[in-house]
Amino acid sequence: MFGPRLDGTNGVSLRTPTLEDHKTFVHWTLEPEATRFWGGRIADIRDEAFAERHTKDAESQNSVTWSIAFENETVGFTGLFDIDWVSRDAESGIFIGRHDLYGRGIASETIRLRTAFAWRELGLLRVHNWISLRNRGSRRANEKAGYRQMGLMKRYAFRSGQWYDDWQGEVFSPDIPAGTFVPPSTGG
Amino acid sequence: MFGGTVRGKTTTLRVPRDTDLDAHRRWAADMRVRRAGPIGRWHEPAASETWKEGWTEQAKDKTSVLWSIDAGDARDQPVGYIRIRFEGAPHSDKVLLDQFVIDPDRSGLGYGWDAALTLHRWIFDYMHLRMAVVDRIAADDVGRQRILEKLGHERFGHGHRVYYRDGAYVDQYLYQMELEAWDDRWSGEREYPPLGDEKAV
Repeated sequence: MFGPRLDGTNGVSLRTPTLEDHKTFVHWTLEPEATRFWGGRIADIRDEAFAERHTKDAESQNSVTWSIAFENETVGFTGLFDIDWVSRDAESGIFIGRHDLYGRGIASETIRLRTAFAWRELGLLRVHNWISLRNRGSRRANEKAGYRQMGLMKRYAFRSGQWYDDWQGEVFSPDIPAGTFVPPSTGG
Repeated sequence: MFGGTVRGKTTTLRVPRDTDLDAHRRWAADMRVRRAGPIGRWHEPAASETWKEGWTEQAKDKTSVLWSIDAGDARDQPVGYIRIRFEGAPHSDKVLLDQFVIDPDRSGLGYGWDAALTLHRWIFDYMHLRMAVVDRIAADDVGRQRILEKLGHERFGHGHRVYYRDGAYVDQYLYQMELEAWDDRWSGEREYPPLGDEKAV
């Protein structure tokens, strides 16, 4: 499903994505300035592929996606994915395509809005994510919203002659119930 | 996609057959299997036609592979199944263990260990992939933890209060194993014996 409009501070808002937004997103993922910590810079850019993916996102019952707008201009996308409605858990992601706007606090405000929506509107109790350890800006933005490290995968990816480890973070709703917890085993 | 034959000592990973669907239907509805969390819940209980559609989708999906697990003493039913996903496909050098189920009525016979070792031989010795990852082990699932740690997986993450079942939350452990760890520990596990030198004529 698509997320509703959420207005934040500093000119940042989350908006329901349009098909045009979707095309813009994919083209950003093909540019070197925005993909150091992203995928392989390859994509299906046929019009029918855009429409199919856009419809799939709209119809999905276990994800919520938004366009990120800065001063009313689309600059990236974000979402909650793989929502487990029983465990009340989801994975989060964010991509700022406008690299000329890095460092303006857009990611921090986006993550704050998205996380508040996860607790207040979806009733989720936990959100987790995977971020390249070297992607300091994204990691800091998530930490500001309350994410804390829960794992570190060594040598997740190799790019431009260097290994990149991957940081796993999690954040909990203030409403998480107490006293319903199975302790981990003492060893495998 | 469906996976081809990979032989272990007591189990064989093989191409799934239509007749395996009965077992999948039974496992999906078995609370002992579902208790493991996502690694034991490929699909929810469903009607036969839905299962057939899911099977067709799996056959077409180029980012994952499904095997049925046979055991020597099994008659015509598999003793479990394994499903992997290629992480970051189509340019993937990692596989993620998505589903790993042994029939609870056949547990404790070593099939899980043998099937896991056989799968990892395929991953590292045959496919020469760089890493195997498991990000969905419940923290009280001692059986799968023992298998992964005996193989040489290292625990790299601990998610808190991730899976809800049986009226309570349970934590999640995340594991990874790299090709070097396989070569260090299991250098004798080969799909084929080495070939001798051959000189071009």
